[in-house]
Amino acid sequence: MVYLRSWFEYVNEFPSSVALRESLYGYPALLTAHVVTMCLFAGLIVMMDLRLVGVAYTDTPVSQVQKRLFPWQMLGMALSSITGILLFYGQPMRFYFKVFFWVKMVLMGLAGVNAMAFHYSTYRSVAAWDSDVKGPFGARMAGALSIVLWTGVIVFGRLVAYDYMTLSD
Amino acid sequence: MLLPFFQWLQDLAISGVLRNSPWLGPGINILHLLALTVFAGALLMVDLRLLGAGLTRQPLAPLARAAQPWLIGGFIALTLTGIPQLLSTGTKQYYSDFFWGKMEILTVALIFTFTLRRWVTQADEKRVGPVWRKAVGLVSITLWTTVTVGARLIGLLS
Repeated sequence: MVYLRSWFEYVNEFPSSVALRESLYGYPALLTAHVVTMCLFAGLIVMMDLRLVGVAYTDTPVSQVQKRLFPWQMLGMALSSITGILLFYGQPMRFYFKVFFWVKMVLMGLAGVNAMAFHYSTYRSVAAWDSDVKGPFGARMAGALSIVLWTGVIVFGRLVAYDYMTLSD
Repeated sequence: MLLPFFQWLQDLAISGVLRNSPWLGPGINILHLLALTVFAGALLMVDLRLLGAGLTRQPLAPLARAAQPWLIGGFIALTLTGIPQLLSTGTKQYYSDFFWGKMEILTVALIFTFTLRRWVTQADEKRVGPVWRKAVGLVSITLWTTVTVGARLIGLLS
């Protein structure tokens, strides 16, 4: 953690980081763009998860939902990552002390692992259950877990804005 | 003219409870954000299809009907979690240009969504040209994005 901290402190002193931190509209613009891009990313992820669970878009084959939404989910992920990284870049030392920021990062990692695990296990046999209203247990579980994890990411992401669980130096 | 009304909202007992609680305000704010995610997802499923992207192999009308409960459910949740935020910060909202801007565009977006957008999604696809569908999808995304941006800026720049 000492190395991590010195790296955060290093970034914190970059002139462009200071400029972003001190600009009047930079931060509000980035926060707003982060919410809008979240709508694209998390919105379409949740819609796909609801199909996996078997409660929405049940007339559409799972593979259709997955393949046709994927490029838009990736666009949403790229845009929310860019705005998120810039938000971090402008105030690294503020986030360093926020417990909820680290919780959000861990939950994002777990959501990624869940998606990959599903893709390389249960999803391989999708042809056998593509049009079923409710897929196999693995698919319903992956969908439900994804909803829980991304909900956690949004909850803790929003909580970072408040002063709860901020460690002192 | 409406200032006394907003002042009255702010002075209600429930508004004080909302303001003074350390977790009610943030909790309602988070629920508003989660409701937004569901609403935006259901909206985009259909708007992307209108633009000729996303679930293009699915017929438009059933897809729009499948998205509708999530769209309306999301909107109801947004309203239920929006009202307490209006109550607890009545005069701040009254003096915010972003609040009034958001509410005006929201009115237009709602009327558009439940008239033109609904007709185009439910009409026979052969009878409505692709240009009309694309226009409706684009207008829908633009209107609701503007509402979201305006809403976020109430909190940031008011």
